[in-house]
Amino acid sequence: MKTSTLRITAAAAAALLAVSFAALAYAKTITLPPDGAQLKPSDLPGYALARKDCVVCHSAEYMLYQPPTAPRAYWEAMVKRMRDVFKAPVPEGDIAPIVDYLVKTYGNEQAK
Amino acid sequence: MTRDRSRRTGAPDPMRRRMLGAAAVGALVSPALARAADTVTLPFVNGERRLAAYPEKRPLIVLTSRPPQLETPFGVFDDGMITPNDAFFVRYHNAGIPTTIDADGYVIRIGGASVDKPYELKLADLKTKFKSVEIVAVNQCSGNSRGMFNPRVTGGQLYNGAMGNARWVGVPLKDILAQAAPKADAKQVTFNGLDTAIFGGGDFVKALDISHAMDGEVMVAYQMNGADIPFLNGYPVKLVVPGYYGTYWVKHLSDIHVIPNEFDGFWMKPAYRVPDNACACVAPGTAPTATRPIGRFTVRSFVTSLQNGASVPAGVPLTVRGIAFDSGIGVNEVAWSADGGATWREAKLGEDLGRYSFRPFTFGFVPAAGDLDIRVRAWNRAGESQALDALWQPGGYMRNVVESVKVRAA
Repeated sequence: MKTSTLRITAAAAAALLAVSFAALAYAKTITLPPDGAQLKPSDLPGYALARKDCVVCHSAEYMLYQPPTAPRAYWEAMVKRMRDVFKAPVPEGDIAPIVDYLVKTYGNEQAK
Repeated sequence: MTRDRSRRTGAPDPMRRRMLGAAAVGALVSPALARAADTVTLPFVNGERRLAAYPEKRPLIVLTSRPPQLETPFGVFDDGMITPNDAFFVRYHNAGIPTTIDADGYVIRIGGASVDKPYELKLADLKTKFKSVEIVAVNQCSGNSRGMFNPRVTGGQLYNGAMGNARWVGVPLKDILAQAAPKADAKQVTFNGLDTAIFGGGDFVKALDISHAMDGEVMVAYQMNGADIPFLNGYPVKLVVPGYYGTYWVKHLSDIHVIPNEFDGFWMKPAYRVPDNACACVAPGTAPTATRPIGRFTVRSFVTSLQNGASVPAGVPLTVRGIAFDSGIGVNEVAWSADGGATWREAKLGEDLGRYSFRPFTFGFVPAAGDLDIRVRAWNRAGESQALDALWQPGGYMRNVVESVKVRAA
């Protein structure tokens, strides 16, 4: 009897505690700033395709800050990784022009 | 960075640091409050970067906007041994990051094929029903300093600021796992967080061997430097893996699975691998024949009170400050040179906050007029030290060369 009363009291205290926690409850929310960099405009056909296929998932610093020594094989591997590993919906026909735009804009085929 | 340095000529002021922290909490979550764009040029080709204030963060060096990857301006490391929460680096992998988290409803699911008693652990229970522990430990990005590799390697082009030292409070992972009754066939434990890959592929999941997960040091942390863990550092719970690279310190930890096999998700294989040899290095420009998952930190040390290109008065005593750390064996010696490594003397070690912490050191001398090449080199209790010439590997991980700071005494 005594034990059961204690148990009820403990349950009531727990409920009270739960209510007071609920009163304090809040969801923490953040708002992220907009992208700080955009893809470099280009006359190459891959520019429009990169705007469509690449920056859906990530901002343009991923390309912009690579070392300018980055070769074509790197850019091709990255675009294919986005499709094959991350399941980015990059149409097969977009890959070659995107790679061409990236290596000529950010990689080792930039015009000097 | 020059701007940061200019107001740090005297001794660190703990009160000022505390006030900056409080101000940051007040300024929470509003990108509109971000200060005007500032820029910095990191010391490698294509090293121009913006600084921007993200939620709960002071302006930090932006490696990428989305998902956020933010680097700590190096001057912060001269302010004190604990890196303030609002200055701590940020590294996400996928852009599907949570932006609202209800801590009261937060649960961590513990399960997997190799436990007998899967369960859901509420955050409140984590904080109240387990014995908590505290540790000061460095977290360092695997690719910290990648931009300094020569020849350059691709990936996040960081200078030396993707590291930080914090006081973590949490619960030993072994106590959490014990309640799930791991089976005898348990081989690894995987860790997943609330962040997701936008198109479903390449979710960020990491794994540790069961013996490591049960070592009593790996921790599920809910507090960082006496406060909630900042949102972008993994609020409300983060895995803390002392002495191991940050890739294992999973943010917004939500799922822990004990499994009877080796986990081979993308972020364990092929990502975050290093050459499987003693130096974790290969000849520059070549590929390793075998790789292993990245593991423990190498030994590092940095001068924090002087930056490259600074001028100091000749003929006047100069005190130089710095920091050293390793993987938790414990730094026990730091040597310094002012002549590019021709002659070395022993630096004085400062306060010991624990073997996983930054360890401060100081040394002093009277510079003669001319160019100085100041170098520092740390050893740990196992006799491990830093490479005199930089090691190279294609991933750009684990840099630990003896750093050089060139200053002019005039």
